[in-house]
Amino acid sequence: MISHLPKKPKNKEGKYKDTINIALAGNPNVGKSVIFNQLTGLSQTIGNWPGKTVERMEGYLDFLGYYFNIVDLPGIYSLSTYSLEEIVSREYIVSDDVDLIINVIDATNLERNLFFTFQLLELKVPMILAINQMDILRKRKIELDFEELERIFKLPVLPVVAVHGIGVHQLLEKAIKIVESWTPLKKEFEFPELTSILSFGKEVETKIKDLTTEINKNQDYISDFHYPSRFLAIKLLEDDDEIIKIFESGEKVRSNIEIAKNYRKELEDYHGEDINTIISSEIYNNIHKIIEKVVHIKSKEKVKKTSLADRVDHLTTHSFWGYVILAVVIFGIYAFTFTVGDFLGGLLEGLYEDLSITVYDTYGEDNIWVKILWNGGVGGFFGAVGGVLVYVIPFFLIIEILQDSGYLPRAAFLMDRVMHVMGVHGKTIIPMILGLGCNVPACAGCRIMETEREKKISVVLSSLVPCAAVMTVVMGLVGRYLGLFWLLFLFTINFSVILLVGRVLNKTMPGVCTELIMEMHEYRVPNYSVISKQTWLRSKEFIYKALPLIIVLGITLEILLQLRALDPINIVLAPITVFWLGLPIVTGVFLIYGILRKELTLVLLAILASSMGLTLLELMTPIQMIVFCLVTMLYVPCFATVVIIAKQTNWKYALQISLMEITVALLIGGLIHFGYIFFTTL
Amino acid sequence: MIRSMHKKSHGHRNGHKRRGTPLIKCLTECDKGEEVRVLNVNAGYGAKRRLAHLGIVPGVKILKKKSAPFRGPIEIFVKGTKLVLGRGIASKILVECNETCSF
Repeated sequence: MISHLPKKPKNKEGKYKDTINIALAGNPNVGKSVIFNQLTGLSQTIGNWPGKTVERMEGYLDFLGYYFNIVDLPGIYSLSTYSLEEIVSREYIVSDDVDLIINVIDATNLERNLFFTFQLLELKVPMILAINQMDILRKRKIELDFEELERIFKLPVLPVVAVHGIGVHQLLEKAIKIVESWTPLKKEFEFPELTSILSFGKEVETKIKDLTTEINKNQDYISDFHYPSRFLAIKLLEDDDEIIKIFESGEKVRSNIEIAKNYRKELEDYHGEDINTIISSEIYNNIHKIIEKVVHIKSKEKVKKTSLADRVDHLTTHSFWGYVILAVVIFGIYAFTFTVGDFLGGLLEGLYEDLSITVYDTYGEDNIWVKILWNGGVGGFFGAVGGVLVYVIPFFLIIEILQDSGYLPRAAFLMDRVMHVMGVHGKTIIPMILGLGCNVPACAGCRIMETEREKKISVVLSSLVPCAAVMTVVMGLVGRYLGLFWLLFLFTINFSVILLVGRVLNKTMPGVCTELIMEMHEYRVPNYSVISKQTWLRSKEFIYKALPLIIVLGITLEILLQLRALDPINIVLAPITVFWLGLPIVTGVFLIYGILRKELTLVLLAILASSMGLTLLELMTPIQMIVFCLVTMLYVPCFATVVIIAKQTNWKYALQISLMEITVALLIGGLIHFGYIFFTTL
Repeated sequence: MIRSMHKKSHGHRNGHKRRGTPLIKCLTECDKGEEVRVLNVNAGYGAKRRLAHLGIVPGVKILKKKSAPFRGPIEIFVKGTKLVLGRGIASKILVECNETCSF
């Protein structure tokens, strides 16, 4: 997932009145992506924030003559520096690319959601509050006083039922009204003064005001960073490392750090708590006051019925059944992926064989162009589509369902203890489960880890998880020809290696394991449109990036085979492949190709076998298959994974890891080969 | 661990007057389904800030839901959401229970 910025459709002369840039912000799981999908439909792109490993969802929409550019920000709880997502979000919101924010708020959980709203307020960007899940609130007979909310926040507040698309387009109508009310110079927008209910207690507020005045003395320098000075003052008080960096960079403003430090100390002494506790408590107190004013509970009776979601939650976090279910889920991911994949792959294979016969009949089987273009190009295409794509799509589908339903945090809860053995906390299980499909998003997903140390360990663990590509190789060889027992044998070795590597990394890497702090949101029925669109977007990326590569490589390989150019490489690698691993000599170059994409090892092997008129079982002995699969499973992660590991950590580390994994793979492969020879000669 | 710690000022809650001083434990020691009030978070800067942003500040009510087996993390209910806390961090959160110290 190399970073790429989405193409913007051109605003044809006079077609649109104006472009309105909107950022959707809010806590995780409040229905942000549902609203995003309702608004932008299929015209959306997944990319990366420039230079960052955070995913950027962007979409476009033509509405009432305006051109809307909507960015779905990652779900976060605050605007501190806890994660990269928080930093990316706050930097983006204050940049010139945003005209207004839509803050999506879950009506059923105002307390926590409004905390984030309070943080957004300090960024002084025009904002609309969208209160989602109003239907559930109504069902619980709870009323929300929208007029009071608007009066308190001095912002438009709108009810939304995102899943049914109710109120979603009204958000944009409101946005248009706001934009049209601006003077021709947008930047002259005046953000309303904070009412007393929105500001901090007297002591904190005075310190913030004093500090703001101090900061404003160097307005010209500070304005380059786009943040409002009050926000900077609060963050300086909170000892926010990113903001401190800004102040350290300027000669004139450096003194503010010292002032903030003194203020902080005064406040901490006065309240007897640390600054973050003071500020958070005051915000939560204000929220409490707001909720008392705006929430009216109509029905006295409490809903005591345990819902289905609660029961599922209880079962999936149960100390025995939870693990059983986790095992079933992991098995289910593979089972679903491969049942669907095998079925579709079989259809395509049949089609290719039928077509091949026609082509051979027409042009002759020994025609060199037939070999290069048909066997190499078209064969490669069918190999990629029928051997890989048919597995990738169902996998993405099932992962999206797991993600959207809310199962993954449960797995983290259950696995936290085991993960501590490897020096990371439970959340690592999430990228590892993603790794069952593809190691690239898995390693990218390791950004959810909080510290450098955990990130470093997590990327290694995730890169060792057998991905769908590796699975196609293993299923296509061992699964197809040798059966379930040997499949389990391979997986046992693979997962033992993961555990062992994690253990060693934990022991050798300096630092200690941090602790899990994670929200576990309620289960919900996955949203059909979000899932289908996400699946499609992710598959599209695969189609555009991997398919052309596979076809080109297929043709190149066929040409090389025809020219007998592969022999030297194979001979150089022969001591390793033939002597140490006991594999056929041709596999040397395939293993090299496998670095590009692991499934190529099997795809190319199949192409070779078919060009020689053999089946795979005639090409390789069972023990060779086992060794070949094992080496493919464990040796250097594919090229894209190495790149993403380097991006998450650094190139030196990525290369070290690759070398380590090659060594482990060769070691185990050799042991099995010689072990087999030893036992058969006994 | 800290079972014998006393703090007088937190004696009466919810208008109920009770005799004795409330029992203080760390969150890991609480029973399933016990509702407690946070007294102090004894963690480092980063973890403390994170917990504060999630609403775990002194005075807040927490409901302990369950804990994972093999000394795993614990699940709590606070400010309308379920949170999972690793055992290490949970043991640094001091809470005041509904029961009182026995004499």
